[in-house]
Amino acid sequence: MSAQSRSVVPPAGPVRTFDFPPVQAEVLDNGFQIRSVQVGRVPVVTAMVVLDAGEGLLDHGRGGLSVLTGDCLEGGTAKRTGVELAEALETIGAGLSVGTGWDSTTVSLSCMADRLDEAMSLLAEVLIHPSFPADEVERIRGQRLAAIRQREMNPADIATTASRRLTYAEGVPYGRPLGGTAESVEPFSPDAAAAFVAARYRPKGSGLVVVGDVDAEQVRSLVETHFGEWAGETELRPEIDVQPRTSERGIVVVDRTDSVQSEIRIGHVGQARSTPHYFALRVLNTVLGGAFTSRLNLNLREEHGYTYGVRSRFMVRRGAGPWCVSTAVGTDVTADAVREAVTEITTLVAEGPTEEEVDAARDYLAGVFPLQLETTGQIAARIAELLIYELPDDYYADYRDRIRSVTLDEAHEAARRCIRPNEMTVVVGGDSAEIKGPLEELGWGPVTVEEAP
Amino acid sequence: MLSIPIERLTLDNGLRVNLSQDPTTPVVAINIWYGVGSRNEREGKTGFAHLFEHMMFQGSEHVPKNRHFELIERAGGSLNATTWFDRTNYFETVPSHHLELALWLESDRMGWMLPAMTQEKLDNQRDVVMNEKRQRYDNQPYGDWDEWIQAMVFPESHPYHHTVIGSMADIEAATLEDVAEFFRTYYVPNNAVLTVCGDFGRDEALDFIERHFGEIPRGGEIPAIPGEQSLDPVIGTTVRERVEAEVPLPRVLIAFRVPTYTSPEFYAADVAGSVLGTGRASRLYRSLVREQRVAKDVTSFVFPLTSGAGMLLAWATGFPEGDPVELETALIAEIEGLASVTEQEIERAVALTETALARQIEQVGERADLFSMFDQLFDDPERLNSELERLRAVTTGDVSAFVDRFLGTDNRAILTYVPEAAKKTPTPSAR
Repeated sequence: MSAQSRSVVPPAGPVRTFDFPPVQAEVLDNGFQIRSVQVGRVPVVTAMVVLDAGEGLLDHGRGGLSVLTGDCLEGGTAKRTGVELAEALETIGAGLSVGTGWDSTTVSLSCMADRLDEAMSLLAEVLIHPSFPADEVERIRGQRLAAIRQREMNPADIATTASRRLTYAEGVPYGRPLGGTAESVEPFSPDAAAAFVAARYRPKGSGLVVVGDVDAEQVRSLVETHFGEWAGETELRPEIDVQPRTSERGIVVVDRTDSVQSEIRIGHVGQARSTPHYFALRVLNTVLGGAFTSRLNLNLREEHGYTYGVRSRFMVRRGAGPWCVSTAVGTDVTADAVREAVTEITTLVAEGPTEEEVDAARDYLAGVFPLQLETTGQIAARIAELLIYELPDDYYADYRDRIRSVTLDEAHEAARRCIRPNEMTVVVGGDSAEIKGPLEELGWGPVTVEEAP
Repeated sequence: MLSIPIERLTLDNGLRVNLSQDPTTPVVAINIWYGVGSRNEREGKTGFAHLFEHMMFQGSEHVPKNRHFELIERAGGSLNATTWFDRTNYFETVPSHHLELALWLESDRMGWMLPAMTQEKLDNQRDVVMNEKRQRYDNQPYGDWDEWIQAMVFPESHPYHHTVIGSMADIEAATLEDVAEFFRTYYVPNNAVLTVCGDFGRDEALDFIERHFGEIPRGGEIPAIPGEQSLDPVIGTTVRERVEAEVPLPRVLIAFRVPTYTSPEFYAADVAGSVLGTGRASRLYRSLVREQRVAKDVTSFVFPLTSGAGMLLAWATGFPEGDPVELETALIAEIEGLASVTEQEIERAVALTETALARQIEQVGERADLFSMFDQLFDDPERLNSELERLRAVTTGDVSAFVDRFLGTDNRAILTYVPEAAKKTPTPSAR
């Protein structure tokens, strides 16, 4: 091969089409939604129960109730102690994990396909007959309090916690840490867990996603057998409040003396999952900070070496979640990094992305879609999203087309509507003695200092 | 028993190639293991293998800086690399019609990296790596644990004595000369394994590989690993360190020298590690977390290393007012108690490993990495398909014998973190 031909980027071969695998939808008589997808690459199955039981439902006084209730499911059932439950699951190689977010609680099971019947029976037992023994609840509450202590001393968590608090108005759920605070976790009890389950772990309003080496008929029969007796309806959700704390820009230093790095968070209230700008924002955010070759990373990392990495995220939720740019940088370059990041954000909003950038972002997002759907767990999580946000079952059929059809103008419009540089709060967790002066010299906004927890 | 198809061949320049087809999803993974890691670093050059990995993303003769990322992201692919004790791996997963692009990019940096190297790029990536160290190690509670543990378990003359991230002074001192020498020595086809896994045509893939990698010249013999690799199977005593640091909770870590991954005894160590700390029915979780309530969380795992010895590590994190001595006593009691392991416990451990492995190989990128590993470490990629059988063959007697031999007081490194006297009174975080 000649040196010249080496210089030519090899052409792509013929495209093989990718379709999101067909989703079978059914509803049990008790209102429990079933979604199943048969994929047989490896003989495993992921089964995921999706409950309308997120932390976003809870006021500050009950913050962490959903997370703790989920954690306490391992405490046992009407039939088994916690130890017996763990042994029953692990003997068949099944893993049970609970994921609590702002919008939902998911209880997921993964196992080899030939153990699905036993595993599903245990999954149902855990959801329908959790027992919340007092000593187990007490233990798990103690573990959560210790985890909160860890969070309060972790530099990245300190900055994120402060950023969320300063983004949302007093009392807005999204303004607190997901797992609650020491105060809100303190009163947790078996009764509180049982009452939460009675209100929110109900078949009507919930669903089960099963993905793997199993067909729809088997799924239906297994779900009927194990979840058929379950009854009840999930209570209605309260409206979620997403008032911002401020519309003024400013810098807040959370002081950690002798910190070797500064944790930076820049953002404001972002968008809900239902935003009409959803696809344009995905493209826009890729240009700003969603990929390695995004503007922020090429500037802060590859040009200046300020950081190991930087990213921008729109955390879309039922209500408007935060938009946040996050990075960790050397103490001596903190103000420089803030200046560069703010300049990149401001310029992108004012001038918009280029046609070339939008093109690259569209190609990336459309192309990477099948890569993110290789595993049963990934597919199940995508389908769970449809249940949580009440999106149609065929939503993913034209997902890539919708990404590809985003125009330059739409991406720029999304930037102008969803990013407001004059309303950004910059939070810097770091050594105030070293960084406060340079941050003030930026002249970008008022700098205030608070003590780390 | 797994039966993932695998074909292996070797190019004339010594590059080992593994091909494993699976057309179920139109994606393909390519993965390269270079037989070089932190164990190959000489004194004064620690952290260099990892810094070099960063330099591999700075372009090559026919690929300008950032172009590798741009092309792969544009293709809808994902990419990364990692450096470890015994190897450095580079990998891309792309939609299957972009296979040739990924192979071309990997071949260009295997064959033509040096012409693109500049002092400016080195300075930039040195800064990036130093920030990586600050972010992941220095500015993290307990972030320096591996530095302590490796130094306690392996003698100064041994290649596992120092960490992969290395010393910042050594990183500061790295030169372009070092980059060139390291490249010529280790980044040669005869020190690499290339695996392609997923949706592709065999003949076409082979043709791409021949065309892009075939002309890269074979390198010299790979130099011996510096230092003294062979070492006593056990540490010889109980080594202790106590660290007062800005940590929220006390934590006790305990590490043991164990047989290497390439030794038949390794599997008993692996099963022992799982029985001890994998899952909520494991001994540590059940006893320390659930029953005695002295630990907030527990962990145990085995490092599958190949030079002289590996490591089994367990740790327990205590509660704010907890006594680290009590925590250590409880941890050691469970470790010693492993000698009475039951068949049911081994069955559970193997069942959990089976599900974990099945879930791992759902991704072609993970499959490719495993094939590369088994080829590089065992000269036998097929070994992936029979790995579970070796775990299943472990008996209670094997585990007991392992515990007696390797988990005693003559083979322990115990590292205790205690929170330094609080500087401030903690306050609730939501105001």
